[in-house]
Amino acid sequence: MQVFLQTFIGGVSLGAIYALVAMGFSLVFRTMGLVNFSHGNVVMIGAYIASTFYLSVKLPFAVAMVIALGLTGLIGVFIERVLRPLENKDFDLMLIGTIGFGIVLEAVAIIIWGATGRAVPNPVAVAPVQIFGLRIRTYDLVVLAITTAATLLLVYFLQRTKRGAAMQAVAMDHEAATAVGIHVGRSNAIAFMLGAALAALAGGLVGPLLYVNPSMGGMLGIKGFAGAILGGFGSIPGAIVGGIAIGVLDSFAGGWFQGYSDLVTFLVFTMIIMIRPTGIFGERTVNRA
Amino acid sequence: MTQGLEFSVSDLTVHYGGVCAVNGIGFTVPAGESVGVIGANGAGKSSALKALMGLVPRRVSSMRFGDVDLSRVKARDMVRHGIGYVPEGRHVFSGLSVEKNLLLGAYARPWDAKTRAGLADVYELFPVLGEMKDRLAGALSGGQQQMLAIGRALMSQPKLLLLDEPSMGLSPILVETILGVLQRLKGQGLSMLLVEQNAKLTFEATSTCLVMENGQVAMSGRSADLTHDARVRKIYLGL
Amino acid sequence: MKYRIAGIAALVAFAWYLPYQLDSYMIHVANVIIVFAILAIGLGLVMGVAGQINLAQIAFFGAAAYGTAILTTRAGFGFWTAAALAMLIAATIGLLVGTPALRMQSHYLGIVTLGLALALTNWVTNAHIAGGAEGISGIPAPELPGIDLHNAYFFYYLELVVFLLALAFGLFVVHTPLGRKMRAMRDDSLAAGAVGVEVPQLRMTAFFLSSIYGGLAGVLYAGLIRYVAPESFSIANMFLLLAMVIIGGRQSLIGCVVGAVALSLLREVLVDYPTYAQVAYGSVVVLTVVFAPTGLAGLPKRIRGLLRRVGWLPGDTGPVPKLGPFLPYAETPRPAAEPILRIDEVSMHFRGLKALQEISMTVNAGEIRGIVGPNGSGKTTLFNVVSGLYRPTAGRVYLADKDMTAASPHVLARKGIARTFQNLRLFALLSVRDNLLVALDQTSILSNWRYVLWQAGVWRHDQSLRAEADELLQRFGLTDFADSAPGELPYGTQRRVEIARAMARRPSLLLLDEPAAGLNGEEVRQLSEIVRSIRASGVTVVIIEHNMGLVMSLCERVTVLASGRVIADGTPAEVARAPQVVEAYLGDSAMSEDVPEIVETEAAR
Repeated sequence: MQVFLQTFIGGVSLGAIYALVAMGFSLVFRTMGLVNFSHGNVVMIGAYIASTFYLSVKLPFAVAMVIALGLTGLIGVFIERVLRPLENKDFDLMLIGTIGFGIVLEAVAIIIWGATGRAVPNPVAVAPVQIFGLRIRTYDLVVLAITTAATLLLVYFLQRTKRGAAMQAVAMDHEAATAVGIHVGRSNAIAFMLGAALAALAGGLVGPLLYVNPSMGGMLGIKGFAGAILGGFGSIPGAIVGGIAIGVLDSFAGGWFQGYSDLVTFLVFTMIIMIRPTGIFGERTVNRA
Repeated sequence: MTQGLEFSVSDLTVHYGGVCAVNGIGFTVPAGESVGVIGANGAGKSSALKALMGLVPRRVSSMRFGDVDLSRVKARDMVRHGIGYVPEGRHVFSGLSVEKNLLLGAYARPWDAKTRAGLADVYELFPVLGEMKDRLAGALSGGQQQMLAIGRALMSQPKLLLLDEPSMGLSPILVETILGVLQRLKGQGLSMLLVEQNAKLTFEATSTCLVMENGQVAMSGRSADLTHDARVRKIYLGL
Repeated sequence: MKYRIAGIAALVAFAWYLPYQLDSYMIHVANVIIVFAILAIGLGLVMGVAGQINLAQIAFFGAAAYGTAILTTRAGFGFWTAAALAMLIAATIGLLVGTPALRMQSHYLGIVTLGLALALTNWVTNAHIAGGAEGISGIPAPELPGIDLHNAYFFYYLELVVFLLALAFGLFVVHTPLGRKMRAMRDDSLAAGAVGVEVPQLRMTAFFLSSIYGGLAGVLYAGLIRYVAPESFSIANMFLLLAMVIIGGRQSLIGCVVGAVALSLLREVLVDYPTYAQVAYGSVVVLTVVFAPTGLAGLPKRIRGLLRRVGWLPGDTGPVPKLGPFLPYAETPRPAAEPILRIDEVSMHFRGLKALQEISMTVNAGEIRGIVGPNGSGKTTLFNVVSGLYRPTAGRVYLADKDMTAASPHVLARKGIARTFQNLRLFALLSVRDNLLVALDQTSILSNWRYVLWQAGVWRHDQSLRAEADELLQRFGLTDFADSAPGELPYGTQRRVEIARAMARRPSLLLLDEPAAGLNGEEVRQLSEIVRSIRASGVTVVIIEHNMGLVMSLCERVTVLASGRVIADGTPAEVARAPQVVEAYLGDSAMSEDVPEIVETEAAR
């Protein structure tokens, strides 16, 4: 039981990261109807920028995170701007275009930071919390708190702000959105920017948990994506539940199957998705008519 | 909404792929008047309306609203020049609530007390929307969605309303309701351009009317006269 | 054609004499390039031809390479036995990966296939049997009597032969019924289903086919390098492969090969700067999708088009293609008036919207039935239910007394229902002739065994289809447009192509959705002649139409829908006089009697 709970808690913490990645996927899908395959590598870039400002420039972790969010957001804006001619025309091509960006980002990371990777020390140097005999790292709690805050902010943005409503309207009917005066391109740019900022948040937070290296984007991206689909693509609560579920699944698979954990996670995921293709909360339908 | 502007278009042409959907049509909507465009499906009336909005590429030699030249205005800025657009079919933002849909209609304006007042006006015009303001737009019936689309366009406080087949898919009584609404709006001095396949609605809601065939204006005249025109009756009932 | 044969001969000769010019390093490079070319053909088939996103091609490749390695070094099989078994493994995995394609849309397929590729790398890096991160060395070279395949030069010729056969087979598939159906599915899977293409099974076939190419490449790779390690099958290589296919032009197998050769050479030139090479090809992928979506293969056509526009090349000078007259079908005696289509209390609801409410109607064999009603009254929804695109919320649909409710579109197409679409759904990238050929082919997916064992039979079948297509083109006056893309044709001609495509199914029941929309007076007259002749040949026709003149003159019976209900049914004259119809169309205040009833149902929603 002890081991079970400890594994579970470890999974939730990593799952919170997957949930942030999943939210980035879902946000872009919900506001543009596009699956951004470069998202995982944007997470990786975010991890590098945050760790660089934290380790090399020696800024406080929080400040490094804020800088990473800003810079990575700009990368998102750039990707959207280049691919804009394909918007509302051919989303399959655009998807391949994002894969192309993913390839470039990974290579750029190797050029700038080298191929070897780096370890990021835990920025919260406080002893683990003991609850009912379970050891919980303080940093895990920080991750959970930040994820919760980011989720609430995102939900607030989509539900309560004019821009948030407009961005969702664009995905549902871009012509009608244009007719009421919404600048569709700008809305999509903001979606990409926010998606990239979420990616940077996930990347910055995951640094102290995993080893930061140029190829981490693939696995993080695919697990986040799996989380998003599992929860119901495009749904924000779905992204949270799905991301955490993948994290927990991962954690148990890691405990029981060691090196084969990714394999097992994917087999389970594929099976679930075959049985229920729309995920737990159902896919948010996006009109592309 | 009270002081009107004249909307005039000349030589509007629209190509879809290799197909010429609209071939050099021109017309004028006088201030505070409403003009109808009727014709069979595929005659080009819907394309013409979309092209006026700038939603599809067009060629036009002139397009003016009052003193303003609209021929180079982008689709997203039309609403800022006082043009409201009600798209064909159920093009509401289906995953957002009714109230969000209406508020987005006022996207180009600040969301202030005046917008709130506009919201109240729409709910007064369509009480059913007020009852359902928290429902998702996609869960409304066809008639309610149509009302929502009109209400959304009104939220921008337009001076000219472009309507694309508001009667589509509605039962006769709902068509009557829409007609009542259009007449009321007309009474408030709003100019309208109504594209329709329902001739009856169009004749009753407008003062002049164009009949389109194969991308061109086949006939035009006072709506009251066209009602009795043998050719119109033939096209519409095959009598 | 002559130039083409000469060109191919020159290329084959070049490939044949190439090794004489290469040192031992470069011959190795050439050998690896061929492996990638075979992989790219497989990926081109599934992505470019069948339109299914597949990021697992590298996993098929890896599975076969590792399969060969394990079976030869661990189980002691000979190379060829191991190779055959490894191909089988790759094919099995291909079918497994294809299973989700039975149910899923593109972005799901993307993730599932990518996940599989990652899972394979994960497995081989960890599994003891696969040698972990060090991989497996000491794979024996394949043996051929009299040829020493340890020698890279001889291996080159083995690869060349396999490659040419693989390319030839791929091209054969693309230009015969199987590939044509795949291309149709890529362009418009809905319309493909409506002309009898078994879309889910075909998607799976596409994955199977690409896994065969992956397997072939994997076996060759194992025999060539005689060493396998996880990094050869990494995601980075999958993306490199994807870049080859996108940059080369995914819709053309030749383009895929060109892309594979070009990127492999680029990688070789930049071998000391692999990350810069990665930046380069990643950027080229982005630029390609934005500026030249058809890739290198599409460039000649684009350049020709450009030159023509600026006037450096003369335009098409041949005779202006002309729509020929329609040649009527032979008349058959009118069948007995038995019900061919019976719709029983069918309702169709979409969330809050009741598109159809308890519709009942019967169409007799040999009839021309008109369905009219205001826009949005549910006519097209009714067609979609009858042709299997929608599963009705309630009610049954009978085809000649057989209950066919909610059967798949392709099953219904095979039972004799053909249809056209309100907003033209022609296969955009297929020529007019290919559009018809897709519909003409009535064979099922199972008959594709002949691609493996009896290619001559496939070829002969294709020839007979082509003869039928020529006849059909002639009948509909489309001969001049046979090789044009549908989008280049005048609107009225496109409408006619769609009717010809529907008739290619030799249906017993033809559903026409607003065939006269957008046609001019003369075209409407020709349409009515065509529909009459189709009926006279024994086909029952149901026609949705707004052109009342056409409906009144053509149809024997007319059903009027309004707000998802049947409001009248009878001869054209009866219907035109029916007060509720006049109300629905022109409106007449005298007729407001029925209105309250409809109000109630509206309010009851």
